[in-house]
Amino acid sequence: MMPARRKGLGPLILIAPAAVLLGVFLVLPYLNIVVMSFRMPGQGTPYGAGFTIGNYTKFFVDSFYLLQVANTLWIGLITTAICLVVGFPVAWQLARGAMRFRALAYGLVLSPLLVGIVIRSYGWTILLGNAGLINRTLTGMGLIDRPLPLMYNALGIVIALVHVFLPFMILPIMAAIQGVDPSLESAARSLGASRFTAFRRIVLPLCTPGIQAGCILVFVLSLSAYVTPSLIGGLRVKTMAVTVVDALIDTFQWPWGSALALMLSVTGALCVVIFARLTRMKWKVGRT
Amino acid sequence: MTEVSIERLTKTFGSARAVDGISIRIADGEFISLLGPSGCGKTTTLKMIAGFEEASEGAIRFDGKDVVNVPAEKRDIGMVFQNYALFPHMTVDQNLAFGLEMRKIAKPEMLSRIAKVLDMVQLGGYSDRYPNQLSGGQQQRVALARALVIEPKILLLDEPLANLDAKLREEMRVFIRDLQRRVGITTVYVTHDQAEAMTMSDRVVVMFGGRIAQIGAPSDIYERPENLEVAQFVGQVNLVRGTILGGTITGPAGAGKSRVASVFGDVAVDSRADHAPGTAVTLSLRPEAIELKPAGQGGAQGKVMARYYSGSIIDYRIALDSSETLHVQTFPNIRIAEGDRVSVHAPADGFWLLGAAQ
Amino acid sequence: MKRPVLTLYCLLVYAFLLAPILVVVGASFNAGNFLTFPPQGLSLRWYVTFFHNDVFMRAIRTSLWVAAVATVISGTIGTMAALYYVQHAGRWKEAVRIAMLAPLLLPEVLTAIALLFFVYAIGIGTTTMIGMVVGHVLITLPFVFINVSASLESFDPSWDMAARSLGAGRLTRFRRIMLPLIKPGVIGGALFAFIISFDTFTISFMLKGIGTSTLPIQLFDYLRTNFTPEAAAVSTVSIVLTLVVVIVSEKVLGLRIHRF
Repeated sequence: MMPARRKGLGPLILIAPAAVLLGVFLVLPYLNIVVMSFRMPGQGTPYGAGFTIGNYTKFFVDSFYLLQVANTLWIGLITTAICLVVGFPVAWQLARGAMRFRALAYGLVLSPLLVGIVIRSYGWTILLGNAGLINRTLTGMGLIDRPLPLMYNALGIVIALVHVFLPFMILPIMAAIQGVDPSLESAARSLGASRFTAFRRIVLPLCTPGIQAGCILVFVLSLSAYVTPSLIGGLRVKTMAVTVVDALIDTFQWPWGSALALMLSVTGALCVVIFARLTRMKWKVGRT
Repeated sequence: MTEVSIERLTKTFGSARAVDGISIRIADGEFISLLGPSGCGKTTTLKMIAGFEEASEGAIRFDGKDVVNVPAEKRDIGMVFQNYALFPHMTVDQNLAFGLEMRKIAKPEMLSRIAKVLDMVQLGGYSDRYPNQLSGGQQQRVALARALVIEPKILLLDEPLANLDAKLREEMRVFIRDLQRRVGITTVYVTHDQAEAMTMSDRVVVMFGGRIAQIGAPSDIYERPENLEVAQFVGQVNLVRGTILGGTITGPAGAGKSRVASVFGDVAVDSRADHAPGTAVTLSLRPEAIELKPAGQGGAQGKVMARYYSGSIIDYRIALDSSETLHVQTFPNIRIAEGDRVSVHAPADGFWLLGAAQ
Repeated sequence: MKRPVLTLYCLLVYAFLLAPILVVVGASFNAGNFLTFPPQGLSLRWYVTFFHNDVFMRAIRTSLWVAAVATVISGTIGTMAALYYVQHAGRWKEAVRIAMLAPLLLPEVLTAIALLFFVYAIGIGTTTMIGMVVGHVLITLPFVFINVSASLESFDPSWDMAARSLGAGRLTRFRRIMLPLIKPGVIGGALFAFIISFDTFTISFMLKGIGTSTLPIQLFDYLRTNFTPEAAAVSTVSIVLTLVVVIVSEKVLGLRIHRF
């Protein structure tokens, strides 16, 4: 029960600053970028006069960009899948394991979040480079003659992205598993279900919202990741976010960059909706 | 000390009337219980007395002064919450001091008052504990102490024993009742537990659906329930069909009684209202008033369908030959087994005339 | 341990999570000119180089300044919004929640770009740091909101009623009862905000002006062209700074789990 709600405008003062901030600096810029994506390209200026749908037709006509979007989605998908497979057992152990060092383990999962994404990607370049730690060690042990191609390709990007986003997969799943009463499993087993069946029929469906949240979070984050693909992929493998940012920072093609950014975001959102439909759960935004 | 008078108090939520025009006068120092099932409006009533809910209509007077527009923090009430609502970041001492600080009581007096009240609730050595370091019963007593230390006009308790286990609950009933007597504070106690209301209160207010069904002393409520609903809520009852007989009952013992024909023969039954001869009526018969004897010893005849032993008493289900089923409670000093045939005797003072049969 | 396989697996994952961080810290003590393995002896020379590098030192100051300002602003706005959300939003609750989480749910790249165009459209541009600070407030706001509203949701309304029944007015109740009890949430949210802001890249990258690079941007630029272990020294200092902030706020401000 809540304390009796006070009438009048008083409480609105509490939400007013946030409303103004989000209204002015989030809603308006998003409206602006949509408009921008229909502007004419400029000559020596960021954009020209008049409107066009040329930026979008260019996108759909040029297979280079379509391919790049597909590539970006593919990397996001693989990253998400690996995060799920790698993260689930850890989430399980954190939620259910009788560990003496639970706090430490939790800290370990959180620790990457305390370290900036640039630094973490940098760490991976040290590890994955041709003269990096892994290749040096393997050649030193005589296991390989030539360095393995770990960097400047999709493999390296995926490895680093999995690392960067793994905590975002583990934490919601852990929370979901913690929310499932362990006695439900006992109940299922008392009714004759095997440990695996009890997990599959009882626990898994109940923590699906957490899994969904984790997957969506990781997928969306990897689509818009810029630093990691940029440092690990170098010039050879570019994801959409890298192309978009470069189009804006280096060549000042604002309308074109806007259209690209929006297309990437819309495609990502479509994927999320399809995913939510496929897993057939009521989807609540961000509820973990 | 304080006399509370509630007049036609109403609370509406949208179109629903949670409390529907109730009036109660609570005497100075009286212990009164609001008893009823959940959703009957008892807690809403308490919250309106406390000032946490605004009254939609009606008046609440403390010593004749209407307090409806006085905010909760100015009403000078002491309240004990169902979950105790002890401030978790404060020690027992700090919890008790809070209300005194709000009243700007000087430090020395504050300390002596806290010590006195802690002593009263038998928590002398617990001043520096945090609430989560106390047992449920101790937290309960701290909550009581916190409400009493400010020496409020009225003490309000909202199902304070609901979270305690059965044994502790019975101890606390006595404890709170004794404490209230000693302090002499006007007290309103909300509960859905009839035994609690009966043992503790001077008077019980039975509420259903936002209205008062009956106000009276515990014995009054139990022995002379206003209607079937009240009778069933405050204890187990057997319902017996009967027909009003003509003729008057003479003698002092017969005053206010009606003669009723029933399976137990003609009985003189207490009632609140007169009914015309020939009216079909419903009588209530308390299970503990019935006496069982071996078959063939007069009274109504029946058969023991089930027997439930619970230590201090035994419960029986009896199927009367007249097809009615009775619930009987006896001391375990008679040996009657399931399947036995029995004679059922009901003394006239075990009956109460609930009203015309529906 | 009951399930050795699971335990071993988890240890491997933890090692995976820590590996790049440990590698960076280790590399910072490399005495060589390049990131070579095995390291050519241990040395603090790259720390010395870093501390004499004005560009990096300025970037650190900028980062700390932006993070501090953004934390104060989004801490205040987010706490107020959380109060509204939990206590007054009524049937708008879900809408308020989604709106407050929006900066987290929208792709950061898109937000950054949109904001960049917008600051130019309204004439602020990137000559001042207003745009960058606004961006940092936007992306840190959800973290404050989540933390504070979680602690408010576990705030039992009967505590407030109890305080009222004892005679406490609205301000006293806020100061003496609610604030101490939601403090862990507020501090936790602010801490999150500070760290996110200190480490964030994309928003800063798009909205930075001339000479207002934050540490992550400076590091990123440096890494594109240089391979000396100085970057590792910079990274290590950044990690240590973050840890110091976490530990100090835990010890001084009492983020610790309360005794009660």
